[in-house]
Order: sequence, then structure tokens, then C-alpha cells
Amino acid sequence: MAMIAEGAEARLFSANVLGLDAIVKHREPKAYREKELDTRIRRSRTENEARMLYRAGAAGVPVPTVLLVSGFKLYMERINGKLLRDAITKKSLVQAGRHLAALHRAGISHGDFTTANIMVGKARVWVIDFGLSQVSNSIEEKAIDLLLMKRSLNDKGLFGFFMSGYGKGKGTKQILGRLEEVESRGRYQADRYRI
Amino acid sequence: MATLGIESSAHTFGVGIVERGRVLANAKSMYPITDKGMIPAKVADHHIQTFKETIEQALYDSGLSMSDIDSVGYTRGPGLGPCLRVGQLAARTISERRSIPIFPVNHACAHIEITRRMAGLRSPLALYVSGGNSQIVAREKHGYHVLGETLDIGVGNMLDNFARSAKMVPAWGSSVAKSAIKGRYLPMPYTVKGMDFAFTGLLTSAAKMLGRHSVNDISHSLQETAFSMLCEATERALLLTRSRELAVCGGVAQSSRLREMLSIMSRPHGIRFGFVDDQYNSDNGAMIAYVAELMRDSGSSFQLDKCTIDQKYRIEEVEALWR
Repeated sequence: MAMIAEGAEARLFSANVLGLDAIVKHREPKAYREKELDTRIRRSRTENEARMLYRAGAAGVPVPTVLLVSGFKLYMERINGKLLRDAITKKSLVQAGRHLAALHRAGISHGDFTTANIMVGKARVWVIDFGLSQVSNSIEEKAIDLLLMKRSLNDKGLFGFFMSGYGKGKGTKQILGRLEEVESRGRYQADRYRI
Repeated sequence: MATLGIESSAHTFGVGIVERGRVLANAKSMYPITDKGMIPAKVADHHIQTFKETIEQALYDSGLSMSDIDSVGYTRGPGLGPCLRVGQLAARTISERRSIPIFPVNHACAHIEITRRMAGLRSPLALYVSGGNSQIVAREKHGYHVLGETLDIGVGNMLDNFARSAKMVPAWGSSVAKSAIKGRYLPMPYTVKGMDFAFTGLLTSAAKMLGRHSVNDISHSLQETAFSMLCEATERALLLTRSRELAVCGGVAQSSRLREMLSIMSRPHGIRFGFVDDQYNSDNGAMIAYVAELMRDSGSSFQLDKCTIDQKYRIEEVEALWR
């Protein structure tokens, strides 16, 4: 198995499942935390991610198909494309906004909705990494999804394109109000978005 | 050519004296915390009563007299308004009476800079953890950037608060740490969102467990969960910034368990991990004097009427001309 990427909580390898081009996301043990806590986090995140991927797919959002869950390993369909971070266009941002709106309508908050967790393929824009996602209709969680995107874009104009895709569905006004509130809590200030 | 620094953002009134980056004195007087926590007006009274003798103590320790002091710094924020006010007033008085320059210092920046100096790190990613603050801070040209932080309360505040609920003596985090050694792990809510984290859910759950589980077990699980959250967010920030160095600072950096966890976390990445002596992790005047000196030597100057306090002074607002 060749390693593709290393994140803070998992490593990605390429694999082959029944002849299909796949990737494995393996959550390896973290030696710094107590074994029971470590096992609990890795197991619940792996299972949760599989569940959330399925739920997001059912809501019509392009996500990698889950092929197999085995212990701390999640086997998924391999997506070809670039990270949104490295391929920002107006079109892909609008599409990403539509996808987040669809997730929120389906009662899913992503939990780490940044330009590094969206992939731009030939025909579609994909949402990946559901490790921190949850089923939640909380306005706060949804506002934090928007906040993470706003911060990772670090540009008002680009965030504007994203929001035009996110649209003005039911409840959006409330979520945007909460976004402002979270930002004004004094912990998040405008200049924080400067990189 | 010595700089005197005054720290008074919370329970400690600290006076430090620094000369060319060397600490000559680091005197402190600490308000005794009771089961009621910190009442800002009472803490400010304590500072008013002890500021003169703390300044005298620092001068005595350094072997200098007031006439050797040629610049003065104080904590502008963040912190408790009434407490900050005492340090500001003392510093402004010294500046005016002796006609020497005055420098308003950001408290978080002071913790990070003294740690960078004392631990011999060049440009570390910093995990700044104290009572009121918990942030992951990266440096950038002439300033700082907060990558992640608490969405509600500081981790130290959470530990202190639990110590009070569990009626520990003394009622703060170090008592939780002692009790934690003897405990076993129980599941508790774990909240990390990317590089941000939140502690109130954890605190509520721990408080509810009191009476149903042993205090040692709750302390242990509370501490392990909170520190694991900090480690996870920090590891993510380290990989994102590709930083080669990590520093931990602030009051909670006195925890040997947190330091151990961060050290284990950084090792496989080949990251240099550093921290400083406890006297610089708890609030102190030396770090304020140290940054005031950096500000002076990099050409900053401030009019007396611009030397205000700001309870919510953010580290991103600091213009760090020395880096």
C-alpha cells in the first residue's frame, strides 16, 4: 500500500478493493493519549465518518462511496481531482456553497468545512473528510461550518461566491446572524482571516 | 539601561527587571484564591496594597535603584479591567515622574516571547494555555496569527472551576492534576472542531458526575480529555503550518502531564518542543519587561495618553516590529 497523504489524525493509502481503485483512511493510535480514550476516539470517528458519508450521499452531495469499514480503517472510492484550495474558481465555489446548503438541509454539519476538504474533479465538486461531522440541526454548528470556510478562503469576494451558492434557503438568515455573533465574541475577529 | 515591567492582568501582581534580554528580577505577589474564585474588585484591592512593596522587592533583587530604570512596560490586556488598571497606573506614574518611555504590552505575546527566548526556540508554533485563554498562535511577519482557540472558556478556567465544584484545596488546576494521578478513565464529551476546541460541555459533564464516581476518576478523565483535545488541535496546526518547533506557555503549561503529551505528540514529526521554568509560565513581570525592551529596541514609542488598557486586547493587534 502506497501512502498518499498524512493528516493529523489519519494516513491515507491507495488500495484495491475487489478490483476497484480505492483509498484507505487509517486512523492510527496516538501515543500521547490514554489507550481507552484513543481507541474510543478512533473507533467512533471511523464509524461516524462512514455513516456521515452515506447520509451525505443520500442527500445528493457528491462524496466518495464507502466500500468497507474494518476496525480503524475506512475504505473509500478513490476521487480524482484537485483540492479546492489549489483550484479556486468562481464555479467551484458556487458549487461548494450548494453542497454545504444541501448538507445543512439534510441535518448534517460537516465540522471541518475548509478548502482543503473539498475536491474539484472534472465533472463535479466533491466534499470529503467527514471525520468531524455530525447529525445536527444546531444553528451554531452550521454557523461554524460557514466560519471555517470564510476563514480558509480569507477573502471577502471569494466568500461571496461561496455564499451565492449557499443561497438564501429557510433558516439561512438565522445562521448568518449566528455567524456574526460567533465572530463578534471577541475570539474571532476580522483580522484573524489574514494569513 | 534596565527595563521594568509590570504585570497585573489577573491574580498576580508581578514586577520584573530586564537588561539586554537578561532577567535581573522577577518579583510577584499573588492574590490568594478562595472557593469563590476571583472577584475583580478584590483582586484590584490586593494589587493596590502590594504594588509598592513588589516594585521595591524587584529593585532589591536586581541590585538596582529606580534611577537605573530607563524604560517601563505594563500589561495593556487581555485581562480583568480593575486589575489591569492598577498596573497601568503604576507604570504611567513611573514614566511621568521619571520622564522615561512607557510600553503597553500584550499579555499573550509576552508569554510567547519569553518562552521563545528562554527555551532557545527560533520561531515556534505556540500553544498558549492559561485561565482565561487557550490559543494556538503562529508567528507571521511583524505579528501573530491565531490558528485555533477555545470557542468558550480557557482550559485553566475549566480546571479551576471543577476544582471549586469538587471542593478541592487549594481550589485550582494543580489540585485536579494531583487527584488525576490516582484516577482511571471514564468517557467524557470530547469537542474539537478543526483547530478549535470547547470546554464547557466537558465541565458540565464532569460536575454532573460528582457524587456518582470517585473524584480522582473524574479529575483524571477531565484532564486527559481536555489535554488530548489540545494535543489534537495542536498537531493539526503543526502539520498545516509545517512548523519545526513547538512551544507551550501560560499557566496551564506548568502541568507536567500536558508537557509530556505534547512531547510525545511532536516526537514522530521531528519537531523541537520547548517550554520554560514555572516562574515564567505563571503570570510574571519579567516577560512584560522583556517585551517592553524588544519594543523599545525596535523603535516603537508611545504617547502617555495612548497607554490605555484593553480587557480584550487580541494578540493579532500587536505590531511586533522586532520579528
